[in-house]
Amino acid sequence: MEATFLLTLLITFLASFIGYELISKIPQTLHTPLMSGSNAISGITLIAAILIYPEVGESQLLKIIVLIAIAFATLNIVGGFSVTGRILEMFKKND
Amino acid sequence: MIEIILLVSSVLFIFALKLFGRPSTAHRANTFAMLAMGLAVFSAFNFDFSKYDSAFYITIVVSGLLGVLISKRVQMTQMPELVGLFNGFGGGASGAIAYVELSGNSLPLSDVFVAIFSMVIGVFTFSGSLVAVMKLRGKLNNFNKKLADIFSVFLPTIIVIPAVLEMDDLLIEFIILVALIAGIIRVAVIGGADMPVVIAFLNSLSGIAAMSAGFIVNSIILIVAGALVGASGIILTLLMCAAMNRTLLDVLKGGFGGTAINNEYEKDPISTSPEDVAIQLSYAESVVIVPGYGMAVAQAQAAVKELTNTLKDKNIEVKFAIHPVAGRMPGHMNVLLAEVDIDYEDMFTLEDINSEFSSTDVVIVLGANDVVNPLARTDEDSPIYGMPILDVDIAKQVIVIKRSMSPGYAGIANPLFINDNAKMLFADAKEGLENIIKSFELV
Repeated sequence: MEATFLLTLLITFLASFIGYELISKIPQTLHTPLMSGSNAISGITLIAAILIYPEVGESQLLKIIVLIAIAFATLNIVGGFSVTGRILEMFKKND
Repeated sequence: MIEIILLVSSVLFIFALKLFGRPSTAHRANTFAMLAMGLAVFSAFNFDFSKYDSAFYITIVVSGLLGVLISKRVQMTQMPELVGLFNGFGGGASGAIAYVELSGNSLPLSDVFVAIFSMVIGVFTFSGSLVAVMKLRGKLNNFNKKLADIFSVFLPTIIVIPAVLEMDDLLIEFIILVALIAGIIRVAVIGGADMPVVIAFLNSLSGIAAMSAGFIVNSIILIVAGALVGASGIILTLLMCAAMNRTLLDVLKGGFGGTAINNEYEKDPISTSPEDVAIQLSYAESVVIVPGYGMAVAQAQAAVKELTNTLKDKNIEVKFAIHPVAGRMPGHMNVLLAEVDIDYEDMFTLEDINSEFSSTDVVIVLGANDVVNPLARTDEDSPIYGMPILDVDIAKQVIVIKRSMSPGYAGIANPLFINDNAKMLFADAKEGLENIIKSFELV
């Protein structure tokens, strides 16, 4: 239990570090698509919603709240990637 | 099997960020990130799709379609609002999940802390983002600052509540309420031109909320992706703050700008006409255009492109100087210019172009103000002192296209406007440019 938690913490640290290193190199020109793209990635919380949905049990209220979370996260992911694609398309044709 | 899918997904996410580093490969980055996301979501089902009822699938399909619809319809000038809105949704989703975990299960105490943390951050991101969207649309004015300060002291204390009190539904709902109000008030006190920082900061928080949700449901991919978003948001936040020479805390405290402190001028500016500007430009060899929020408000991008074409046809060199905080979100100006097909190779950052102004024939300041105010270099008492600015005042000639002499966000006079080498063209950004283009036909 303790070892797994520490390992998870290590992964968190490494992921943040890699993220910091890579993102620091992204030019100012791409900061808007970077935001909308990383925004889409934050919708990954959809996974948590999928994992807990079958386990909410009888409570209708909790079920509805998870469904709201699913709707929010899906909108975030699909809309976010779609709009990022639109923006990046504008940068692509200049190359 | 699931582990392998998740490993591939994590690697793809990191690879996507790497590809994002150059405009030419960035569109592929989006494909990689989408693939990574698809794999991650797929893996969450664990090959058992029958566990889910029709309400679940309908929700996914409907909200997915809605997402596509919104993203196709939105205009590029509305991008800050859209990013803010999606941000709020992401935070809201994490907050909702944390709430369900808190009230549905008996979690171990350590998880209760993480869940409350995730819930507070998620709910705060949700309400704060919605307020940011309203501010960006100009539907909300500044708010009582004192009330906000009291609340902000209060907010961290609620995270330690479970250490002293038994958790029950009422208490959880109370915490949600506090986080909701805190998000609203905190963002409400911050002025419109500080929104790039706010949007980037909320972006980071939505990643942190997702990351902590990953700790509750034990999902490594959620933690990795959340951490990446958290890091990206923090980097942008700090970049924006550095570009204004202010700390994040100072921005979040709010109350900056929006009111005129001092807008007195020693002499009248020299006003010019579209015809004179056209003549002036046709004798130039190099022109630098400095776009600001005024260009976005006036929707003047197409006119900018037209003027650029006209000048380039006359073999005049045209460059764009973009301040990091120009507009309402990081990179806002670049996107608007890219939309009208202006080459990103012609867009320059502050560091890259400041050394060139002294040899530039004509600088056109288009709807920008504080980011070209020389007081930032000279006046220690000025609220913008120390802020890195575009040194357009050292160019040979400067044309400022602006509707009036009104101050920018910082509320101070801009001595650039009465500089000997500067002339004012009093017009809306779009109208001003269009008149200049028309005059070219007569030159």
